[in-house]
Amino acid sequence: MGIQKDRVRLNVGGKIFETTATTLAIAGRNSFFGAMFDDDWNLQAGTATDHLIDRNPDCFAVLLDLLRTGELYIPSNIPEKLLYREALFYGLLDHVRSAKWGPFDGNRLRLSRSITGRAPGDGTAIRAGPDGGCCVAHGSMVHVYDWMLDEHPAINLDYQRVNDAGWIDSDSIVISACERLGRGDGGMGLFSASTGELRYKFNVTHDDQVKSYTAGALSFSSDDKIFSSCKGRSNEYGIGVWDQTTGKQIDFFYESPGWSLGDADKLQWLHGTNCLLVATLFPRKDNCYISLLDFREKKMVWSWSDIGAPVFDERLLDERRVRDAIAMEDTGSICVVNEYEDLGFMDLRSTGGSVRWSSRSRLMKGKMPDEPCYPKLALHEGQLFSSMNDSISVFCGPDWVLTSRLRRSYGGSICDFSIGGDRLFALHSEENVFDIWETPPPPIM
Amino acid sequence: MNSNSNNSNNQKKRNFQIEAFKHKVVVDPKYPEKTWKILEHAIQEIYNHNASGLSFEELYRNAYNMVLHKFGEKLYTGLVSSMTYHLKEMSKSIETAQGGLFLEELNRKWIDHNKALQMIRDILMYMDRTFIPGNHKTPVHELGLNLWRDNIVHSSKVQTRLLNTLLELILRERTGEVINRGLMRNIIKMLMDLGPLVYQEDFEKPFLEVSADFYRVESQKFIECCDCGDYLKKAERRLNEEIERVSHYLDGKSEAKITSVVEKEMIANHMLRLVHMENSGLVNMLLDDKYEDLGRMYNLFRRVPNGLSTIRDVMTSHLRDTGKQLVTDLERVKDPVEFVQCLLNERDKYDKVISLAFNIDKTFQNALNSSFEFFINLNPRSPEFISLFVDDKLRKGLKGVSEEDVEIVLDKVMMLFRYLHEKDVFEKYYKQHLAKRLLSGKTVSDDAERSLIVKLKTECGYQFTSKLEGMFTDMKTSQDTMQGFYTNHGAELGDSPTLVVQVLTTGSWPTQPTVTCNLPAEMSALCEKFRSYYLGTHTGRRLSWQTNMGTADLKATFGKGQKHELNVSTYQMCVLMLFNNADRLSYKEIEQATEIPSSDLKRCLQSLACVKGKNVLRKEPMSKDIGEEDAFFVNEKFTSKFYKVKIGTVVAQKESEPEKQETRQRVEEDRKPQIEAAIVRIMKSRRVLDHNNIITEVTKQLQSRFLANPGEIKKRIESLIERDFLERDNADRRLYRYLA
Repeated sequence: MGIQKDRVRLNVGGKIFETTATTLAIAGRNSFFGAMFDDDWNLQAGTATDHLIDRNPDCFAVLLDLLRTGELYIPSNIPEKLLYREALFYGLLDHVRSAKWGPFDGNRLRLSRSITGRAPGDGTAIRAGPDGGCCVAHGSMVHVYDWMLDEHPAINLDYQRVNDAGWIDSDSIVISACERLGRGDGGMGLFSASTGELRYKFNVTHDDQVKSYTAGALSFSSDDKIFSSCKGRSNEYGIGVWDQTTGKQIDFFYESPGWSLGDADKLQWLHGTNCLLVATLFPRKDNCYISLLDFREKKMVWSWSDIGAPVFDERLLDERRVRDAIAMEDTGSICVVNEYEDLGFMDLRSTGGSVRWSSRSRLMKGKMPDEPCYPKLALHEGQLFSSMNDSISVFCGPDWVLTSRLRRSYGGSICDFSIGGDRLFALHSEENVFDIWETPPPPIM
Repeated sequence: MNSNSNNSNNQKKRNFQIEAFKHKVVVDPKYPEKTWKILEHAIQEIYNHNASGLSFEELYRNAYNMVLHKFGEKLYTGLVSSMTYHLKEMSKSIETAQGGLFLEELNRKWIDHNKALQMIRDILMYMDRTFIPGNHKTPVHELGLNLWRDNIVHSSKVQTRLLNTLLELILRERTGEVINRGLMRNIIKMLMDLGPLVYQEDFEKPFLEVSADFYRVESQKFIECCDCGDYLKKAERRLNEEIERVSHYLDGKSEAKITSVVEKEMIANHMLRLVHMENSGLVNMLLDDKYEDLGRMYNLFRRVPNGLSTIRDVMTSHLRDTGKQLVTDLERVKDPVEFVQCLLNERDKYDKVISLAFNIDKTFQNALNSSFEFFINLNPRSPEFISLFVDDKLRKGLKGVSEEDVEIVLDKVMMLFRYLHEKDVFEKYYKQHLAKRLLSGKTVSDDAERSLIVKLKTECGYQFTSKLEGMFTDMKTSQDTMQGFYTNHGAELGDSPTLVVQVLTTGSWPTQPTVTCNLPAEMSALCEKFRSYYLGTHTGRRLSWQTNMGTADLKATFGKGQKHELNVSTYQMCVLMLFNNADRLSYKEIEQATEIPSSDLKRCLQSLACVKGKNVLRKEPMSKDIGEEDAFFVNEKFTSKFYKVKIGTVVAQKESEPEKQETRQRVEEDRKPQIEAAIVRIMKSRRVLDHNNIITEVTKQLQSRFLANPGEIKKRIESLIERDFLERDNADRRLYRYLA
């Protein structure tokens, strides 16, 4: 009897589907089916009549399968967009998203799509959002794409150059921009990802006065803080800290002499040690400075610089020049990369050490492409990624062995890439194209 | 498909005539209105409990279509006005509910509204998900709550009535009536669901105000007619009632607020009056050992600012007063043992109060300690008395007491000792008393003695007890020496008296300048033998006899042949031995023959001739005191039922006035080098220091032994300057410099 009662006959756009209330319940209370079969609506399953739903039956079949199996198979005759719209009608969009691609694994990535933008010139940065969307900064514009890769109204910074961007949640993007002299603008703002509207502007106050400043690299901590490298007009050089919920500035780490914090290229919040990695790199400065800041004690707890490093051979200089750095808390080390994509490592537990370069002799050396892009590093769940020219290398294991390489034939060098929402986004410098790499859903068995 | 094929057919027929494709389906101009009517009707049916005939799919599709065709705004405003309309209807029915039915009707309608809201939100789910976030609108559920708030809870006819009803019910519950707590909980929950601001503004704030008034009046009433203990009981009950009320039907966050109201009105505002209440206040509770009341007072007062400090201050001043009375009571001072026992009892009493009633509060313990420290030192003789108390306990008091109990008594004494400022004075007396105990063999338990020494050592360090320990060593060595003496000379000594010598190291013992008396011939011969034996075995030493500290056992036969063994002091022995060769001796003769210092001799004769039952001598004329003209005889009629008779010396157990002065002087004398040593130690490390800082540091360094007098420190500094240890700074005369 129980099973009998569970049966549901649906007439979707003229096609009869038989399923069970249990299957439909997987959609959750906050969906078309959840509401439809709620007691309030007095629509007991098992009644003889068909429930008519005036929707596309083909898409419904796909979505019903998704509820039955948890997996998404889109037949070639159904445009993705159509399916998404149907999913939105039923309130199943989240189900579709989580079934569309699998959990991130750098060694199983497949190119999913390439998006060609219309922005002129070089891209500054690409940042993956938490739910699979992304934003691309170009000059003074930030283009926002949702996970369906539909473009939303762009964020327009009114001709101020964007330095960095980052997602706070799936609808909020923080953007740091250059100050324009004498205009009192620039700095850092919080924007809506769906509408592109400015929601909040973050201030720097110095001696109780609100200052105009240029915000550089951004980082976000798990306890709702925003960090940004700041350059003000007078004394406000250093790292500013804001609270994400109140928007108020809660701290400022003033730059110590000779140590360019305000110009930092990269900030990285280290959750385990409660410290912020700050890296200021060539060519922004003649030398490289990497340090770890402890805000509780207002102290630089670790630092490294290549100032005064012995140069035995002028030709070696480029080879020893750090182009990007990333801290790896699990192994207590910092990974750096030079312009030939050689990786180097430093011990985070002792200060004043030197870089151990792992020289992976590359054929690349000496014959750079016309428009080279310097390497960038990223770390995701124990996998290390580095971009070099038109490819991204994946390194794994305790010795960081090269395990995969992602490459696509056009678009030129990769100027930035970002991992988030189980996707990898790579921004190319030439064609204003970015690629989306996804891990396919896990195999059936 | 159909229209498509038609199109192609047409094209073929009507050669190249291209017709604009009607890609925009002409929307029936009445379409939005019609669709909305359907939805509006549905909302009405939902509010009328008539939803069974509605098709969810149809309604959802209609709402979807409205949003899809850009009529989201119309849908939304329609929803607002429709819901507002129904809420106004509900409001009317709530307003007309009579008396007690008001809350019930409100609750019923609230439940209805919630259910309707859920169904409406189901229909409008698509709008909620797509139209609302992009258009800065309030989501349906929140909108429903806001409209309920504005049209019902904040409607002029409901708002005050609701508040008054709630407050009225709470008042009734406070006065002992039983109310419908379930209904209360639902209504309060409704206010909370409408947002913290609604709960706070529409209920919590006035509730707290009314409660404050209520408790202000009630506490005034109570304080007029109750004693302190009863009042506290009532306050405690009220506090618990309020906490219980919160747990039953208020927001948990209100607990701190309402309890602070009760605390303020019932406790903080009446704190001083309660503490000082005549015949029942804190002092009376302390006097009567009312632990329960004290505990209640502590627990209630700790909740309010300055509550505990109020209790503590009153307790401290009471304790200081009684303590001061105790230590300055002339009657008590007569009996040192009783005096110290009283202190210990007082300390036990307050320890018990603090542990039973005051939650073993550290600040109270500190107050207790500082009070004791304050009044114990009010009496300069406290160190002496404490030593006497120990003396008494170690002489007789500890017999038959288990080891643990001994420890307990000693620990308590140590507690008192810690309070003393003049620990060195205690040391002096302790040394004297210990010497007497050791020399007279009166100590009850060696273990107890040693255990106390260990305690003193842990308290004050090795220095403090090294001499005391030396005394114990001397006793042991003397035993061995005597054994050696008798093994060597035993044979030749024959039947001469038995001699026991305690060899005391100079410096370790509280010796007085030696005034050797003339010993009887038999004894001095024996003493000479011992001297030559001792100096023969130990080279480079000097022996001098402390005849004032010895004892002797004499066998005596009286007139009718009654034999007794007399236990006397060395002085007494010397006197009595004179009567072997004489019947009558005058004071002068005795003084001449023995050369005992006159004050000692008088005391000695007094104890031999004037103590009833122990008067082995007879005196002429008979009187209590010894005169220089008196004459003495053997008291032939002396009788005693004991064979052994102990003749005590009339010694004031306490010191006589000149002795006291002397001890005092010696203490002062001993302090000088200690103060100087401290100054030198400090200056050696600091090199330069000003006067005030030296005083502070020296006082700090020495306070474990005594409280150094600043005047004395100044003198010591000057003496050190004279001896070129220090110099004054040339520029700043207040600065001293250390000269290496």
